[in-house]
Amino acid sequence: MPRRRAVVVTGLGAISPFGAGVKAFWQGISVGACAIRPITLIDTDGFRSRIAAEVPEAIGGSPRRARADRLALAAAREALDDAGLGAAERRDTAVIVGGVGGGMLEVERWYWARRRGEPAHPVAARATLPASHADVLAWRLGLDGPRETVVAACSSGAASLAMAAELIADGVITTALAGGADALTRVCFMGFNALKLLDPEPCRPFDRERRGMSLGEGAAFVVLEDRDAARARGVPVYAELAGHGMSTDAFHVTAPHPAGDGMVRAMRAALAGARAEAADVAYVNAHGTGTPQNDRIEAQALRTVFGEGRILVSSTKSMIGHTMAAAGSLEALATVLALTNEIVPPTVHLTVPDPDVPFDCVPRTAREASLSAAMSNSFGFGGQNVTLLFRRAA
Amino acid sequence: MRVVVTGVGVVAAGLAGGAAALRSFLAAPPATSTGRVEDAMLSGLLDGVDTRRTSRVSRLAVAAGRLALDDAGLGDAEAAAFVLGTELGDLHSTIEFADGYLRGGPQGLSPLLFPNTVMNTMASATTIAVATRGPSLTLNVRTVGGELAVARASRTIAAGRAEVALAGGVDERDPLVEEVLGDLGGGAERRGEGATVLVLEAVDHARARGATPLGEIRGAAWRGLAARPNGVGRVVESRAIGAALIEAGIAASAIGWVYGSASGDGPRDAWERALLSRALGREVPVASLAPLLGQHAGLGALRVAAAAWTARSGRWVEPAWDGTPRLTDVAPGPGLVHGIARGGTHVALIIDGPPSDAD
Repeated sequence: MPRRRAVVVTGLGAISPFGAGVKAFWQGISVGACAIRPITLIDTDGFRSRIAAEVPEAIGGSPRRARADRLALAAAREALDDAGLGAAERRDTAVIVGGVGGGMLEVERWYWARRRGEPAHPVAARATLPASHADVLAWRLGLDGPRETVVAACSSGAASLAMAAELIADGVITTALAGGADALTRVCFMGFNALKLLDPEPCRPFDRERRGMSLGEGAAFVVLEDRDAARARGVPVYAELAGHGMSTDAFHVTAPHPAGDGMVRAMRAALAGARAEAADVAYVNAHGTGTPQNDRIEAQALRTVFGEGRILVSSTKSMIGHTMAAAGSLEALATVLALTNEIVPPTVHLTVPDPDVPFDCVPRTAREASLSAAMSNSFGFGGQNVTLLFRRAA
Repeated sequence: MRVVVTGVGVVAAGLAGGAAALRSFLAAPPATSTGRVEDAMLSGLLDGVDTRRTSRVSRLAVAAGRLALDDAGLGDAEAAAFVLGTELGDLHSTIEFADGYLRGGPQGLSPLLFPNTVMNTMASATTIAVATRGPSLTLNVRTVGGELAVARASRTIAAGRAEVALAGGVDERDPLVEEVLGDLGGGAERRGEGATVLVLEAVDHARARGATPLGEIRGAAWRGLAARPNGVGRVVESRAIGAALIEAGIAASAIGWVYGSASGDGPRDAWERALLSRALGREVPVASLAPLLGQHAGLGALRVAAAAWTARSGRWVEPAWDGTPRLTDVAPGPGLVHGIARGGTHVALIIDGPPSDAD
C-alpha cells in the first residue's frame, strides 16, 4: 500500500437542532436532550408523522439565500475560524460538501405556487442543486482549492470527509473544509412518510419497540489538514481521521444488504486504513436510524466486525433526528467530541433493549469512557456505506 | 500508478455503443442533432430487469455502464469504484413525485418514486446492474460533471486506492428546466442528454488481463475559480491546468489541441477561452462536442474518449455551432480536456494515446 500522509481534524463547526455552534451541539447531545418537536417549517396536515428536529433560531445570512446554504455557511465559518485559517491559507483549501436536498425547500414554494397558477418567479431555482452549497461557501469564504459536491444519500456528509481525507493523504492538498448540510424539505418529509419509515413519536433507535426514524436538519463542517502542515501552523488538533471505508451494496435501491455485507466491508476498510484492530475501537457512533430493519442489520454488521458486547454503541439521531446530508458530518463531530471529552453521548428514548442488538447502547444518559479510537457509521439509499475512524490526537 | 482508458459506453442522441461506435460517429459526424436519445434505441440496450422500476435517466446510466464493461471486456468489476457526475439528477421523477402530492394530497404520493428524488439513484441503479461494490460517488455540479467524475476516478486509481473504476456522467433533458433556464436568461445553451461511462484501469491491471488501452490519462486536476454562484468570474489564471500539466510531466507547449466545455453560454464560453489562452500561452485549436450532442453531464466523459482517439489518430472534430462539422488533422500526442462551470468549478485532464508496451 502506498505511504499516506496523516490527516488530522483542526476545526469544527455546527448548526444543529440545538442551535448555532459546536458548543450548543455538544451541550445538547452530552446531556441527552431531545430536539424533536412538531414541525413548523412546512405543512404536515394529513401525514402520519408530524415531527422533526428543526434548527430552532434565526439563521444568519441573507434571506435571499436558500435555508440549506445559510446552514452550511454558518457551520463552515465556525469551522474555518476554529482552525484559524487566514485568507491566504483558504485560497488553497478544498471545499467538499455532502448534499441531498440542496435548495429544495425554496424551490418547492415556487413550484407549489406555479401549480396553483399564482405568479412565481423561478429565481429560487438558481439554488436548487446540492452543488449550490459548495459554490456559495467557496465564493463567500474564499476557498479556491478542489471543489466537489457528493450526493451519497444519507451518507453524503461522511463521504465528504472521506473524499477530503483521500486528497490530503495522497498529497494533492494540505487542507480541506468538508461536511454536509440539509434543510428540512417537503419532498423528504413526504417521501419518508410515504415509505412509512417515520415514527409518529421521537425515534427510538435500538429499542425493541422502535417504529421508525425522525427527520432533522442542520449542517456540520470540519477542517481536515495534513498533520505536518497543522504542526507547522502550531494549531491544536482535535483528533486524527485515521481511516475510512466506502463501499456499495449493489443490492437494492432502498434496503440494505440483509447480512450487512457492505457495512462490514466499510468498517473493515476503515480499520485497515488506520492499521487498527477491532479491539482498538471502544465506541461506535451508529447510523442508528430507528427503523426496525436498519438497526437490526447494523447490529448484525457490528457483531461481525467487533463480536458481541464490549463496544459502546449509540445513536445521535435519537436526539436530533436524521439530518440527511448533514447526518454523517454532525455524527463525525459527535464522535470527535466524544473522543476529546471522553464522554459517550447516549441513545435517548431507549427503554427496552432489542435482544437482536447485543451491545451496550448507552441508554438515556451519557457515559464517561476512556477512548483511544472511535468509529462513525453512515449508510444511505442505494446501499452506500461510509465509515470514519477517528483516533485521539497524539 | 498510470491510468488508462480501456472501455467506453455511450448513449446519446443518435449514438450508442462502445469505442468503435464513437470513432465511427466522430469520423463522420452528423450535421444536425435533436439532442434527444431515441426511446426505441434505449430500450434496445436494456433487458427487462434493467427497466423494471427504473426511471429513464437511470436507464441511460445503466445502458452506458453495461456498454462500457462490454467494450473493456471486463466480466468482473466487483471491486471497482464508480463515480458518476450529474447536473440535474432524476428531476423528472422528483417533479412526478411532487405532482402526486399536489394532485392527491398524502394519498397521492408514490413510495416507489421517492428514492429517485435523491441524485444518487442513477449510480445506485447502475451499481446494482453491473455489480460494482467499491465506493460509489455521485458528483453534482453544473455542466462539468462528467469531466469531474473522470478526474476523481483517475485520481483514485493513480493513488493506488483502486485498480479499476467506472466513471462518467448522465443527464436527461427536461422541459421545465429549459423553460426556467430561459426565464433566468440562460436559454442560449445547447442542451442535450445521455450518458457516457468509461472504464479506467491501472495500466498494470489492464496489461495483466491483456486489455488494449484506448488512451492514457496522464494528468487530472480540479480546482475552484472565484465566481459568484451561477456566475462567471474574472480570474483567468488556471491552477487546474497547471496542476494537470505538472502531473503529466509535460509543458503547456506540448498540448496540441483541446476539447473544451463551450456550450453556447456566451459569458462562460468566453471565460473558458481566456483561461485556455493564458494557460497554454498561445492559440490552440479548441473544440466542443456540444453542438453535436448537446450539453449534458455525460459529454465531459465522452470528450475524454474522443481525446484518446485524437491523441492516437491525429483526427480532430471541430463541430460548428451552425453548419457542418469539420474533421481536421492535428498533431497526434497529448491534448487537454477542459471544463469550467458557472460558479467556478474547473477541471483539466491531460489525455494521451495508449502507452506503448515499452513504457
